[in-house]
Amino acid sequence: MSDRKDRYITLFQGAMLILNVAAVALICAFIHVTTGRILSRYDARTFLDGVVKIPGNPGDNLKICLFLMGILVLTFLLRQFMKELQSRWIVVTLVLDMAVCSGIIYQLDFNYNGLILLVFANVIAFVKDGKFKLFFVVLAIAGYLVADYELLSIYMPLYNVGDYIRYYSSNTQQYLFSIYNVMISLNIILFIVYCVYVINSQRGTIEEVNLLYHELQTANEQLKEYADMTERMTQTRERNRLAREIHDTLGHTLTGIATGLDACLALVEISPEQTKKQLLLLSQVSRDGLKDIRRSVNELRPDALERLSLEVAIRKMVTDMSEVSDVRIYFETDEKHLKFDEDEENAIYRVIQESITNAVRHGRAKTIWITMKRTDGEILLTIRDDGVGCKEMKSGFGTKHIKERIEMLRGTVTFDGRHGFTVTAHIPIRWGESYD
Amino acid sequence: MRRWQRWTAAAAALCALALVWVGIRYERRKEIVLEFGMFTGSNWDVANANSFVIIDEAIARFEQEHPGVRIHYYSGVRKDDYSEWLSRKLLAGEEPDVFMVLGDDFNQFSSLGVMKNLDDIIQADPDFDPERYFSSAFRTGQYGGAQYALPYEAVPTLMFVNKTLLTREGIEIPDPDWTWQDLYEICQKVTKDTDGDGALDHFGIYNFDWKDAVCSNGGEIFRPDGTACYLTDDKIAESVKYIRQLNELNQGQKVVQDDFNGGSVAFMPLTFAEYRTYKTYPYKIRRYANFQWDCITMPAGSQGENLSQVDALLMGISANTKEEKLAWEFLKLLTYDEQIQTEIFQYSQGASVLKAVTQSREMENIVQEDMEEGDTVISGNLLGRVIEEGHIEPQFKRYEQAIALADSEIKNILENDKSIDSSLKILQRTINSYLQQ
Repeated sequence: MSDRKDRYITLFQGAMLILNVAAVALICAFIHVTTGRILSRYDARTFLDGVVKIPGNPGDNLKICLFLMGILVLTFLLRQFMKELQSRWIVVTLVLDMAVCSGIIYQLDFNYNGLILLVFANVIAFVKDGKFKLFFVVLAIAGYLVADYELLSIYMPLYNVGDYIRYYSSNTQQYLFSIYNVMISLNIILFIVYCVYVINSQRGTIEEVNLLYHELQTANEQLKEYADMTERMTQTRERNRLAREIHDTLGHTLTGIATGLDACLALVEISPEQTKKQLLLLSQVSRDGLKDIRRSVNELRPDALERLSLEVAIRKMVTDMSEVSDVRIYFETDEKHLKFDEDEENAIYRVIQESITNAVRHGRAKTIWITMKRTDGEILLTIRDDGVGCKEMKSGFGTKHIKERIEMLRGTVTFDGRHGFTVTAHIPIRWGESYD
Repeated sequence: MRRWQRWTAAAAALCALALVWVGIRYERRKEIVLEFGMFTGSNWDVANANSFVIIDEAIARFEQEHPGVRIHYYSGVRKDDYSEWLSRKLLAGEEPDVFMVLGDDFNQFSSLGVMKNLDDIIQADPDFDPERYFSSAFRTGQYGGAQYALPYEAVPTLMFVNKTLLTREGIEIPDPDWTWQDLYEICQKVTKDTDGDGALDHFGIYNFDWKDAVCSNGGEIFRPDGTACYLTDDKIAESVKYIRQLNELNQGQKVVQDDFNGGSVAFMPLTFAEYRTYKTYPYKIRRYANFQWDCITMPAGSQGENLSQVDALLMGISANTKEEKLAWEFLKLLTYDEQIQTEIFQYSQGASVLKAVTQSREMENIVQEDMEEGDTVISGNLLGRVIEEGHIEPQFKRYEQAIALADSEIKNILENDKSIDSSLKILQRTINSYLQQ
């Protein structure tokens, strides 16, 4: 799409260049030929009576103009074929074009100033920098207004192509004048069409971008919905598993215990001995049940934690996260034996995971520092990032989950969003306490 | 790879330097050629066999003083063809660096901008003092307030007197400060029918026109910038009336050149160039051979002096010359050098444009050499005064057309006995509207 546009713009520029080269060459050649005609007819003195000024050597004039037009063609080709040309060099060629055009217009004594439109057309297409563009546009407009033959001929003597045309018979004059005027008009028309085309194509690009943006937004929303749905589905699946686990282990054991206890109630009067045996059995069953429950809970733990120690799991998570995003994460702890109860390890692991996710997703952080310290039977966990933070704390943003998890362990958590985002959690630890 | 590139760059730089050096050497060795545009023959429409002598001598001197410079001129362009020739050169952009300009072309060429404005060069040249020129001749080279050309040769108009006729009538040769009244009285005396055939055969004056009268009456026909004419001015009206008075003496008979050549006319204006030509051998025998003659100043009008029209041959520099300094030096040599200017009296028919040369004893000696014993030579001082205070043609673009229009209309007024005052008023309106177009 854009390639085709570029090709049309190049085509327009090429057409304008050809037209201008033709116009300048024709004017110079016409003056040259007419001078020759005047000389061959010995009309020089009479001709001089009717003019205000004459150009220098018409032959040299033609050569100089052709040479300068050659430079214009060269810079045009340079811009077309050296695609990787830096914008700085493009500006240089455009400035060169401007100088060359001024030279030609001066050489032609302002009889033809359509070249300014050519430069103007190039500027519109090539200069993207707003400041440069404005500068060129102002220069071109000022140039086009000032470099007007009718205006300048009031202040200084300038030769007039019209005088040379008027040397011919009135019939030929009409033809020559119309060719001259058609060339000037054609250049202006080409320029206007070109401008309209460029403006249109630029407007087209803007519309295209808008459309794509809308599509992107819709896709984003859809993705969010999918994510929510996935989360809900995961939750449901997890609940089902939990229910099944409870049903399979706890339910089974409790049923067994309840039945056993019923039996004990019936037996206790008849044979306390038997009852005692039965109760011992029930005690064994309940302990087995407890074991089962512990095993089930174990199965609900995060994968990494299940297999690895807390520290290794955290380090693995940090490494994984660093690998998949361009965030650098530092993890530091002075605690040698990171061995807590499973629910505590779970909470710590989840809080860190959640905080990293938050820092990356909402804070757009580049660096995250995680420290874990032991103070007065507590674990002080801080997760700090250099992201945008947030001025006001809003619920959501993942902080709710963190709070819930910490509160479940009777700990406290504070959030600070002033410089980056900092999560500070105090978690009381049951050192050495165990209820088995 | 690096080393290889460095060597190539060094070699390229060396080649470029060598080229530049060779180019400079070549440029230096090449001789500079200065083109000079001139016509053959005299500017004053008199025969001149020596038109190249002065130029050749000036060129020889210039080339000696400036080694490596050669001056080239195109010989054989006649004065009648010169205007077209120069115009062709200008149109083709091949004009000479220094060239002669005819009086009729000067305004047009100056306005076209093909002649260099000399003001800055004059300002910058400490050796150049415009005061040494006759101011009238110097002003001839001005257009629109700027100096575009320098005068090379000046020619005032004088009054030819048929001494034989006046002596026969017992009339003395008039003084240099004579007046219109004196002229009228003499004309009245000499106009007569001597053979008794009923038609006049001796006349007072021939070819004295209203413009000559205006000059000697201190009148100006045009405003200097060429935007208006002053035909209704009292001085001009008086001049036209005076011409009518003189014409009336002839009782309607027309005086022709043959009458004059035959010795039956007492006065005729003629240029200094004609005076010098017809005073010298061999031309003196071909014309005016059967009577003695001399030249005096123009008669003064009631409001003017004994002055006449002064023409000058101008030379200028091309606006596109590449050798401005040399062109100026050569132009100065031709127009400002006393030795070259003295030769004008020897080899040409005009007068030098330098006061010191024209008013020198040497000039009188040179002019005397060509003349007969009895002829009195016009004194350098008188000639100088006539040139210095002479009337020059105004320099503006439409002058030629405007003066032609005025001349033909005034001749018409005189021939058809129209009322002078009212006719001049109408004519002034016509010419003004032409000038202000």
